[in-house]
Order: sequence, then structure tokens, then C-alpha cells
Amino acid sequence: MLASLRPIERAGAAALGALAVAWVVGALLRRELFFDPVLFGLGSGAIIAALAIGLVVAFRASGVINFGHGAIATYVTYVYVSLVSDGQYPVPPLPNPVAPIEGIAGIEILDFPTFVSLGDSMGKVPALLIALATAAALGLVAHFAIFRPLRYAPVLAKVVASVGIMLFLQAAVVLRFGARAKATEPIFPNDPIDVLGARVGQDRLWVLGTVIVITAALWVLFRFTRFGIATRAGAENERFTTLLGFNADFQAGVSWVMASVLAGLVGILVAPITGVTPNFFTVLLISSLGAALLGRMSSFVIAAVAGLMLGIVDQELFRLELEWDWIPDIGIRRALPFVVIALAMVVRGESLPSRGALTVERLPEAVAPRITRGRVVGYGALIAVAFWLTVFAPFQYRGAMQNSMIGVILALSLVVVTGYVGQISLMQMALAGIGAFSVASFGTQAGVPLIPALTLAVASGVGFGLIAAIPSLRTRGASLAIITLASGLAIDEIFFRRTGWFGLDRIVKTTDPPELLGIEFGPNSGFVLSDGKIPTGGYGLFLLVVTALCCVAVMRLRRSRLGEQMLAVRANERAAAAAGVNVAAIKLSAFAVSSFFAALGGTLHAFNLGTYGHDSFGIFASLTVLAFAYLGGISTVGGAITAGTLFSEGIGIVVTNEWVIDVGPYTAYVAGFFLIGTAVYNNEGIDGFQRRQFHQLGAWLRRRWDRRVEVTADG
Amino acid sequence: MADAVLATSGLNVRFGGLLAVNDVTLECRRGRLTGLIGPNGAGKTTFIDAVTGFLPNNSRGSVLLEGEEVFGRSPHQLSHEGLTRTWQTLELFDDITVRSNLDVASRRLSLGAALLDYFRPRQRAERVEEVMDLLNLGDIAERQPRELSQGQRKLVGVGRALVAESSRILLLDEPAAGLDKAETEWFGAQLRGLVDQGYTMLLVDHDMGLVLNVCDYIHMLVYGQLTASGSPEEMRNDPEVIAAYLGHSGAES
Repeated sequence: MLASLRPIERAGAAALGALAVAWVVGALLRRELFFDPVLFGLGSGAIIAALAIGLVVAFRASGVINFGHGAIATYVTYVYVSLVSDGQYPVPPLPNPVAPIEGIAGIEILDFPTFVSLGDSMGKVPALLIALATAAALGLVAHFAIFRPLRYAPVLAKVVASVGIMLFLQAAVVLRFGARAKATEPIFPNDPIDVLGARVGQDRLWVLGTVIVITAALWVLFRFTRFGIATRAGAENERFTTLLGFNADFQAGVSWVMASVLAGLVGILVAPITGVTPNFFTVLLISSLGAALLGRMSSFVIAAVAGLMLGIVDQELFRLELEWDWIPDIGIRRALPFVVIALAMVVRGESLPSRGALTVERLPEAVAPRITRGRVVGYGALIAVAFWLTVFAPFQYRGAMQNSMIGVILALSLVVVTGYVGQISLMQMALAGIGAFSVASFGTQAGVPLIPALTLAVASGVGFGLIAAIPSLRTRGASLAIITLASGLAIDEIFFRRTGWFGLDRIVKTTDPPELLGIEFGPNSGFVLSDGKIPTGGYGLFLLVVTALCCVAVMRLRRSRLGEQMLAVRANERAAAAAGVNVAAIKLSAFAVSSFFAALGGTLHAFNLGTYGHDSFGIFASLTVLAFAYLGGISTVGGAITAGTLFSEGIGIVVTNEWVIDVGPYTAYVAGFFLIGTAVYNNEGIDGFQRRQFHQLGAWLRRRWDRRVEVTADG
Repeated sequence: MADAVLATSGLNVRFGGLLAVNDVTLECRRGRLTGLIGPNGAGKTTFIDAVTGFLPNNSRGSVLLEGEEVFGRSPHQLSHEGLTRTWQTLELFDDITVRSNLDVASRRLSLGAALLDYFRPRQRAERVEEVMDLLNLGDIAERQPRELSQGQRKLVGVGRALVAESSRILLLDEPAAGLDKAETEWFGAQLRGLVDQGYTMLLVDHDMGLVLNVCDYIHMLVYGQLTASGSPEEMRNDPEVIAAYLGHSGAES
């Protein structure tokens, strides 16, 4: 068995063995330092393991890495908690068809109930059953409405759809239950018991036992039953499995239901122990992704064991950090998932099993911008409107324009790396944060003037981006999405959440307004055309110039030789290599350009905020940026501009709020919904949709014209 | 030996326990169309993959390009050296135009060149125009590969391989796959025309008819080993060929 491993895997096994021996020796010498944390770690490890095996089930069924798995757990758990405590079953927020009329007319015609009451409070068993039925329904919807239509779609669409599920369900939870943590009564007996001299909460062992039983059951199901074997075969080769008379679709549907129910069950069982917040399980999911990757997304046993180990190592590190002062306090514990995922990539290579699906649909088209007279007029008009909104419009529109223009630059960073080169990056806001925190460090703290401070901050962002891009040379697709997500988390944990150059001053970071040639032009600085309200137009004007330059730069990139090579890499990496394209260099340059825009956007965001914390640059911010960029159109500059208007508190949202209906609290929810829709039905985003409508309109007008000419000629 | 553009010696490819290419030594002479035939699974595509640097971890041996050892270089380096290939499954860049497909492959893009091209609008690459003329691709230059017929797509694939700055030899992997009889004949004539103009090629195919008709010299690969070599005439009468190949699939030719 050992002989069949590659050298690097053998080295890894040896290292693990050495660690295990060291641990046993340590445990014999100092039990409380080495043995007890293991017991505590098994509790949190069990949750990670349970989420990990759920991920494996979904991946085996349909080749999707479900970033929404944690959010499914969260939603189902909240349903359960609500049923048990108040007997209320939540109605998901639904669109109110007459809302625009209500908004404009200022009257109320129709209101959907937010909850259905099923009595005062409910017993745990019926509540559990109803909650799990909800989970099953979510699984069915996920399969039939989302991932089945995406069977032959590019990985990008699948990743985006699952991110959409995550955003959508989390937003639904916040809308219905609020953002606060919830607690609920225990399910398992929770009085502590003695295990080999250590006192542990009994309930944790119950959870652990449940997870072990489920893992074993899944292992048996997939190894020995007809269903499991057919699903495994289907994952290998869908066509032949279908020809053999199995219904691959049915199997995938059943697996999705299993995965969702599993997620819900885990959430409900651990909620009494840990409490639950809207993003609790999604943050844990990153550890689970690491565990599932170590099991190559196909082994339940490895995924479960790795999940447990993660929990244990986490507790052990926590204990050792308390005990040994010499361990540097760099947040390594919270960055553990990143370390594991990076190791999994190195040790197991890029070897996520790919599914032999029938065909792969095309990627969103990266239209080459052509300069025509109409376009010049159009862009001119756009800039004129933007100029008016930025400088002369009332203050709320000026502020919205600033948010939107920063959003455009952030979206451009994804157009380059994801739209042009096809590499999915879920860490853009982390790179933006590097720019944001370091521009304050360079500028406000070190007193460097604006231009060099901006340059240094953006260069720092590019540096971080290039380091984080190294895995992209070995991996692609969903694995790359996972590792960039984990990189974003690691950057957040190691740098942003603590005091330092790339982090906070103490609780927040503060930057002085930008100043050039003695003129200060921050959002609150004085401005010649000021109406006395903030933000003033000066900063917006600066942003307008920068944003326009960035848009032109990316358009030119698309038309340049480098841009063509990027698209060649996106289309087909090995053919690109055979055609003489240095694929590694192209990927790295794309990440460099992308990090440039991300970090630039971050510095501009920093000036806009003035005072900011780590939460503006966390993983959820990164996921939201991807969501908006994809929704706008991931592969065109026009898409990035559209994305900018959609950003939270952006111009599109503010105009809608002022003129149509207050979508404020629903922004994330609606964005998640449309993100899923975009991924499934229109992968070119709003921009591509508009382009096609425009072409169709043109063709229709031309036909009408031709017919009229014909008729006239006949007459 | 002096006029061998490409010469492999002792080339081995191993996948786990399977020796897919076993000690293959062959050469392709300048200005000639060399054929490599063999039944399905003989290791023909694997041979091309190994020569063009796509199997760095599985292959061993020597590859001389005009006398220079190039084994172990990466695919894009080999492409710049003038050793290019096509794919059985085409693998065109579907999202960009035919002209861009050729453009991408036409020259090496150093960082400096990329920056220069970015800031100063490009000049048209003469080599691209030349190859498009050669293959009559002018009419479809601005179309995307997915809009073309299978035969045209094959030709774009050949064009993309030919357009490399210093094209020295072209390895064609099953170019006739998916073409009907008339298209195959037409395609063969195109290849013959290119060779008569001085290009050097290695044509890998299991379509005996095409190979026997257009090649100057032919090697046969069976289970990873070279079992016969000779002119088309010799190969037609070689008992090894008839036994290993024509015996089973003679109906095809």
C-alpha cells in the first residue's frame, strides 16, 4: 500500500506518523496539554466532518462543489429553532408583484405573511421532521432548478450558482430571523461525563457518534448497494451509466436530497451546543472543504477523519498557544483551513476527479470592443451622465456614484482573471483590503505623499495576489475557487483582524483624505462646486477619472495580443501551450493585473470610508463582489460597469430606492436569487442580455424596414 | 542523418505498468511527409504527446530537433523552437476568431513585447497573412471556429500549427478523423501541397488510404513498438503490415 504512494505522499504520511508519535509521547508526559484538547476537538471536528461528507455526497452526485452547503445547514437549523421556540414556520421572502405600484403611489395593497403559525411551540421530533422536510425540498430545488440544468455547464457557472445559493439562503435567514445568534434547548443529554479522567460534555460525544454512524452508513450505501455503485459509475461516465439503464438524473436528485438533509441534521444537532448565527456554518464550511479535498471529494472516510483531525489540531493549537508563549501569535489557528487546503493541493495534486459529462457548454463570450461612431457617442453620453451625477446631483446620488465607481474597478479585477482567463478567484476583497490597510499605513502613518503611497499600496496588493496565484499553476476550476477562498480567509485572519501594517490601528483603521499638490479631495473635503452637503464632488471627480482610465485599460487589454493569449488559455490550456503560449506566465500576469485593480479599488474604498474595519474585506465581501460581477457580466467591461451600479449602496440601488421601491434590506437576497438565475439561464449576465436584445431589436427593425421597402416596391 | 529535422531515439512512455511507447527510434527528413500508422491503441498519439513535451513525468529518451537535444522542454518552448502539432480533437480556441487563433500562435510574447503591443497598436503579423493565404483561410478570418465546417476547422488547426515563427516540423495527429472520403482526399492534397513547398511533416493516422497516398516514407507502430518502416510501396506489401493492420481493417482503405 505504501509502495503505491507517490514520494510526496509518502513524505506526508511519514510526517503525520512522526507527529502522532510525538503526540503520544507528549500525552504520556503531560496529559492535560496533549490528551484533553483531543477530546474537546472531537466535538468541533465532528461538525466539520459532517459538513465534509455532505459535500462529498453532493459532489459524487453531480460534480458540484456546493459552496451553499453551509447555508443550507443554517437555514434548516433556523427553521427548526423557530418551530421549537415559537411554532412559527418561516415563509421565504417573496416578490410582491404590485410593489412598484405601492412604492410610487405610497399605498399598501398586498402583504405576504412572514411566518405561518403552527401553534405556540412544537415538540422537538415534529419540528425536526418538518425542518428536515424543508431540507429535502431545498435539495430537490437545488437539483432540479439549478444543478440539473447546469449539468453540462462550465465549472464557473456551477461555482457561481452555489455561491448564489449561499448568499440567497443567508440573506433569507437574516431577513426572517435577524443577524443575531440564536440558542435552543439541548437535544442530547448535556451533563459532562468522565472520559479517561477528562470531563467532556456528553452531547459532543453524541454528535460524534452520530457522525460516525452516518459516515459508515454512507460508506456502505455507496460501496455495496446498487444505488451507490450506479452513482459512482455515473460520476465516472454518465453516458455509459445511462446506456446501462440507470437514471443518472434520479440518482443525482436523491443524492442532493441526502446531502441537504444531512446538512440540516448536522445544524440541528449542534445548534444547542454552539448556538447558530447566519454565517456560522459557512465559515466552518471552509474547513470542511479542506477535509473533503483531502478525500478527493470522493472518500467519505478520509473526509470524515480529516474533518475530525482539523477539529483536534485546532484545539491542540489553541491549548499550546496558551501554554507556550514562544509560539508566534499570527493567527495560524484560524488560518488552519488554508494550510490544510494548500497541503491537500500539493500532496494530492490537481487531481479532482472530473466527470465525463457529454459536452461542456460555452463560456460567456468576451466580446472585443470595437470603436464605432455610435459607441463613442454612447460612452460620451454615459460619461456625461456619470459626471453630472457625481458632481452636481444631490448628495445621496453623489455618494452612490462613488460606491458604484469603486464597484466597477473591483468588478474589472474579476473581468480580467475570471472573464478573460477563466480562473475563479474568491479572494478579491482580501487583495482590496491589502490595498486599503496599507494605503493608510503608508500614507497616514508613515506620511508618504499620495502618489507613492498609492503605488506602494497597490504594489503590496499585487505582491499578495501573485503569491496567492501560485496554486493556479497547478489547479483550476473549483479547486482554485476553494483555495482562493481559503487564501482570502487566511489573509483576513492573519492580517486584517489584528494590529499591524496590513491590519488595524487598534479596533479600526483610519486614513486621511487624499491630497495632491496641497489640494485635499476626500469625500468630506471642501470643493468649489459644493452645496454644503457631504460627500462633496471632488473625490467623485477623481474616481470618475480613475474609473474611466481603468475601463479603457481593460478594453485595450482585450484587444491586445496579451488579451488574446488570455482568451486562448481560457479556451484550452493544453492547446494554448502547444501553440507556444506560456500558460503559467499568462495566468500569473492575469492575477497581477487583477490584483492591481482589486488593490486599487481597495485603496479608493479606504479613502471613501475614511474609517473601516476588517469586515469590509472579509470572505463574504469577496463572494459578494463575484456575485455582482457575474450578474453584471463577467467577461466584458460593460458587464463591470453594470455590476458597479448594482453594488450595495450603488447608484442603481439608490435610484431604485428613491424612485421605485426600497429594496435596501432585500439587496443581498435579490442579488443571490438573480445570481442563481444568471448562472443557470444567462451566463453572460445583464450586459450580454442587453447586447443580445439590442442586436435582436436592430435585426427586427431592419426586417421591418426591408418589408416596407418591398411593399412600397410592389405597390 | 544530416537532413533529419526530427529524430527520436529510445523514446519510452510508461503509464504505471503499461509501456505505451516502447523504445521508438525514428526520424523525419526535411521536405518529406513521413507517415506513422498503427491500429487503435498503438501509442501514436502518446508518441506525439511525448515528443511535444506533454508527458514530462512519464517519458524518457532523446528527441533531436535539427541535431539539438530538446527532450524535457515544455510544450510552449518546443513550439517556439518550431516543433508544433495538431490535435485529433482539434482543440481550437473557440471564443476568438480564426485570425486570432493564428495570431496567438504566431510569435513568442515576451513581457516586453506584450507591453509594447499593449501601448502601441499592433502591426499585422505577416506570417499570419502568409499562412492564411497558403491555406485559403482569408474568407473565414473573422469568423469563430464553431461556425465552420469540420474540414475548415481541421485546416485552421493546421494553420495554427504552421504559423509558429520558426516552423520546422509539424506533427499531425489523426487529421482525417471525422472527415468523409471526399474531404479526406481534399485534405490530403492540401497536405501534399504544403510538403511540396518545402514543409516537413509527420502524419499520424490509422486511415491507411490517406497515409499510403500522400506520404513519402512510413513507419508502423504496434503496441508501442515500431514493427515496420518503408516506402508506401514496400509497406503495401509488407507481411507485418498486412498481418497487424490491413488484416483487420483492410476494409477501411
